Amino acid sequence: MDGAGGRAVDASADGGRGAVLRAGGVRRRVARWGPAAVGALLGVLALWPALGPGFVLRYDMVFVPDPPLVFPASGFPRAVPSDQVVAALAAVLPAELVQKGVLLGIFVLGAAGAGALVPRDRVLARLATAAFYAWNAYLAQRLLLGQWALLLGLAGLPWAVRAARGRWWHLALALLPAAVGGFQAMLVTAPAVLAVSGWRRPRGLALLAVFSLPWAVPALLAGATTDPRGVDAFAARADGPFGTLGSLLSLGGIWNAAADVPGQGSWLLAAARLVLAAVAVAAYVALRRGWGGAGAPGGERPAYWAGLLVAASAGLAVACAGAFAPGAVRALIGLWPGFGPLRDGQAYLAPLVLLEALGFGAAVAGITMPVRPAALAARGAALLVPVLVLPTFAFGAFGRLTAVEYPGEWRRVQAIVNADPAPGALLTLPWGAYRAFRWNPGGGVVLDPATKLFARRVIRDDSLPVRLGDGRVLRLAAEDPRARRVGRLLGAPGGRTAALRAEGIRYVLILRPYENVFLYRLPEARIIFGGREVLLLRL
Amino acid sequence: MLRVIAALAVGAVLAVGASVAVVNVAAPTPEPPNQPLYNYGGR
Repeated sequence: MDGAGGRAVDASADGGRGAVLRAGGVRRRVARWGPAAVGALLGVLALWPALGPGFVLRYDMVFVPDPPLVFPASGFPRAVPSDQVVAALAAVLPAELVQKGVLLGIFVLGAAGAGALVPRDRVLARLATAAFYAWNAYLAQRLLLGQWALLLGLAGLPWAVRAARGRWWHLALALLPAAVGGFQAMLVTAPAVLAVSGWRRPRGLALLAVFSLPWAVPALLAGATTDPRGVDAFAARADGPFGTLGSLLSLGGIWNAAADVPGQGSWLLAAARLVLAAVAVAAYVALRRGWGGAGAPGGERPAYWAGLLVAASAGLAVACAGAFAPGAVRALIGLWPGFGPLRDGQAYLAPLVLLEALGFGAAVAGITMPVRPAALAARGAALLVPVLVLPTFAFGAFGRLTAVEYPGEWRRVQAIVNADPAPGALLTLPWGAYRAFRWNPGGGVVLDPATKLFARRVIRDDSLPVRLGDGRVLRLAAEDPRARRVGRLLGAPGGRTAALRAEGIRYVLILRPYENVFLYRLPEARIIFGGREVLLLRL
Repeated sequence: MLRVIAALAVGAVLAVGASVAVVNVAAPTPEPPNQPLYNYGGR
């Protein structure tokens, strides 16, 4: 009996140890892969209609089938090297899959990185941090403005913060997403990397400089200008009932009303987001005493704590400068156009997004209840809070991010022009940068797809009209000198064929509703293709 | 016990707020015009 009883006790102990080990294994796996899984889940929820066949076209997000590998010859290199990387990937994968991969990758990479900044023994805090980082107003608004390249910077930011004090090649790897994203992605990443790595580690600055070369060199050579009045157009502003500062603290406040998540301005949800932001910031400040777990023994302060706080404060200050002291930003841009990127100050909230995500994770970890199951349930339920305070980001912000197919005639025009070896630029008309197509009902306004379709220089109007709150329309001057010249040519009366030829233009692409405005001014042009929507002329 | 009740209340308010927002937004949007827009946006 004893023996039998002894064996029974031993077996039970083995089983108990096994269960504990299995539970530990599951816990480790959840801690390791959970944040990425949370990112993937939230990404699918946010992008659901965008994951169908076709392309998502919205504001600055223009992906096209078979994009050619071209480099901008003049103007500010906004899409460098992001467009070239997309073109290279599209050489081996369908371009629409590349777009979906990039968009979903932003959620997965960002969430996994944010989670990785939390000690492994804080599993729910990791998941909560990941959830907040993958579902917030900043990410939603920038996505609705089509700024996927900037969001690559947001996705890589936590990894860059994590690697800022580590080996140089870790940091190089962590900076890759921002490097691919281009100028804005690098600019929102740089303050956090510099502040976390500290001035005694110059390799952060060196790597940032090297990875910025693809866009910095063309930018310096382009002769592009920045209209200082852009500060008024692109300054952060209120997107809810709590003013500009309340909007910024809630990680919103983007300048363009069309980039708002539908319904985000309601009192209840705006208040909930502001309270959540306040709780997250307070919890982050409390993190100076550490996470209190095994990952930070003895309540050690996380290595990134002070640096991230500095970067987030600086980002908030830049965002506030455009809104509350626009004269100062205008003066800086007037002094040197290189300060131009400061005009869209809300973009620099990226480190604050990470700070609040970590603070939210810390707050979730700090939830206590009288009984352990209730505490676990409350912490688990708290993971849903980021989604509940911005629920209408789901399903492509309710149809605003929806995949559509290009009409066949766009592909035909692309094939005709790209098969022509003769040099010469393509002019896209009417003379305005943005379009709205009936076949793209969810997307609304989108940058002219002609700018990405052709393996030759495409000349477009890069001036930007923006309606201000008082009803005035502010037209920001074109940045590209060649576009300015062509704009002046088009503005002059009479036939323009010879003048456009002299400017090096070989093709003119006209949207059908505007053919009568331009055709009579191009009398010697030959119609190469005429579809229901587009007309292609050769000069 | 008070904390449990507070957590439940917060959860309920957030769930109701989210539901109202979703119902309000899930309405059809007008078709965009098939023309270039000279107004990029604004607030």
